[in-house]
Amino acid sequence: MNIAMLLEMAADGLGDRVAFGSRDGGLTYARVRELATGVGAHVARSGAHTVALVHETTTLTPVALFGAAWGGASYAPLNYRLPEAARLELLHRLRPAEVADDAWLEFAPEAGHAFPDEPAHPAVLLFTSGSTAEPKAAVLSHDQLLAYQLNTVEFASAEDDEAALVAVPPFHIAGVTAILSSTYAGRRIVPLPRFTAEEWLATARAESVTHAFVVPTMLARIVAAMEDDPDLRVPTLRHLAYGGARMPAPVLARALRLFPDAGFVNAYGLTETSSTVSVLGPDDHRAALDGDPANQRRLSSVGRPVPGIEVRVVDEQGAEVPADASGEVHVRGAQVSGDYVGEGSHRDGDGWLRTGDRGRIDTDGYLYIEGRGDDTIIRGGENISPAEIEDALLHHPAVASAAVVGLPDEEWGERVAAMVSLRANASATPDELRTFVHDLIGSLKTPETLEVVDELPHTATGKILRRQVKADLAGL
Amino acid sequence: MANQLGKRYQCSMCEATVLITKAGDGELSCHGQPMAIAQAKPLPSSD
Repeated sequence: MNIAMLLEMAADGLGDRVAFGSRDGGLTYARVRELATGVGAHVARSGAHTVALVHETTTLTPVALFGAAWGGASYAPLNYRLPEAARLELLHRLRPAEVADDAWLEFAPEAGHAFPDEPAHPAVLLFTSGSTAEPKAAVLSHDQLLAYQLNTVEFASAEDDEAALVAVPPFHIAGVTAILSSTYAGRRIVPLPRFTAEEWLATARAESVTHAFVVPTMLARIVAAMEDDPDLRVPTLRHLAYGGARMPAPVLARALRLFPDAGFVNAYGLTETSSTVSVLGPDDHRAALDGDPANQRRLSSVGRPVPGIEVRVVDEQGAEVPADASGEVHVRGAQVSGDYVGEGSHRDGDGWLRTGDRGRIDTDGYLYIEGRGDDTIIRGGENISPAEIEDALLHHPAVASAAVVGLPDEEWGERVAAMVSLRANASATPDELRTFVHDLIGSLKTPETLEVVDELPHTATGKILRRQVKADLAGL
Repeated sequence: MANQLGKRYQCSMCEATVLITKAGDGELSCHGQPMAIAQAKPLPSSD
């Protein structure tokens, strides 16, 4: 098995349908397959183990993804916003690698080049910020990605007029599964390379978009733009999925009013689980509008597990807790990886993966996510490791100690805040430190709030009191 | 009867399921009986 099979089937069954781009002039499934065979043959000849994509979502994205699979290489989309040094470091770790290039869109098809059948081979590598400083490369194999597709998507189930607006970047798991799911369903993808609410709404209208996935920060901006200008409507939209971070209840309530005809889906999943493991569907969202408090509460849940997935909540001793009790959320199923390059699998002997999220399951089997069990900051759907930012700050010659925390933020869910103490006789302004971090690891991970103090709050043994840091910074 | 691309065929006696990845002629059988197309369980798209 190989994820290239999804494209092969779409090209066999729906070859003339537009797969990617505008209805007029977009690439058909047959054309994407032609390019994937050409790229695959090129990649196989080059001896590369990895195809890196350093680009926003464009026509090159599906060609790089399926071309890598066709050539037996792993697809590794990188954050194109990273500073050059950090990007080169990641590329170095992926060697031998080919970097996807727009010239690939002109490659001649090599119909005789078949994709390899290597189900356990890494199909996709995604760099994630966990609780460690160094970004880790999560590994998703062909059979894991296919398990999710075959369990949750029906082949060619999309109507001829369906179109999905993809606003998440390629280096996000949702940017990978959007392409795989839409290809298998036969749903045209409309890329939105750089998200703004205005562009999203304009593109959705111009392209008669029927399906979309957004992270909560995007939805908050879309809702605000629509409330500012009542003429901004997307009448064709019939399906709006969201996930990546906790959705603020007021934003969801406003969105439900602004898109009365759309079916809403809340999707919960991790990079390490090949995307969605639990969904709250359109019926649950509609039921919440009837005013029944029990149905309303359910809007803050992420629904029930998708087929093929088991979810359980366990206590600190590893024992499963009763319904409605909180604990750590564990998942198991054929789509669950938990493998990292150079580290092997984080699943236990029975196949369970610890998500690091705290949550509970109610008596009807609905899962509620209460937050991260560790210190990970989730800003606009991006997981950010405080340790990586603390390390960056500590690289500055004036910095003695640093603590980075997430503070509640209405627009982003959380924002990055730092507290720093300086070495004796050293000096640095907050702006100088922010610029230093920005140049080292990029704008996403640059603290939006930075306070220089004489001494960080700590325990007698010198352990930094994160809760105190958070309270102090929130009080600024 | 030809097999339909992308459809699942199921055995009524056991749990065997076959997904057709290449359409073709011929008939799938299991436990001495022809396998029938399994009805899809629609799931809302989450991506």
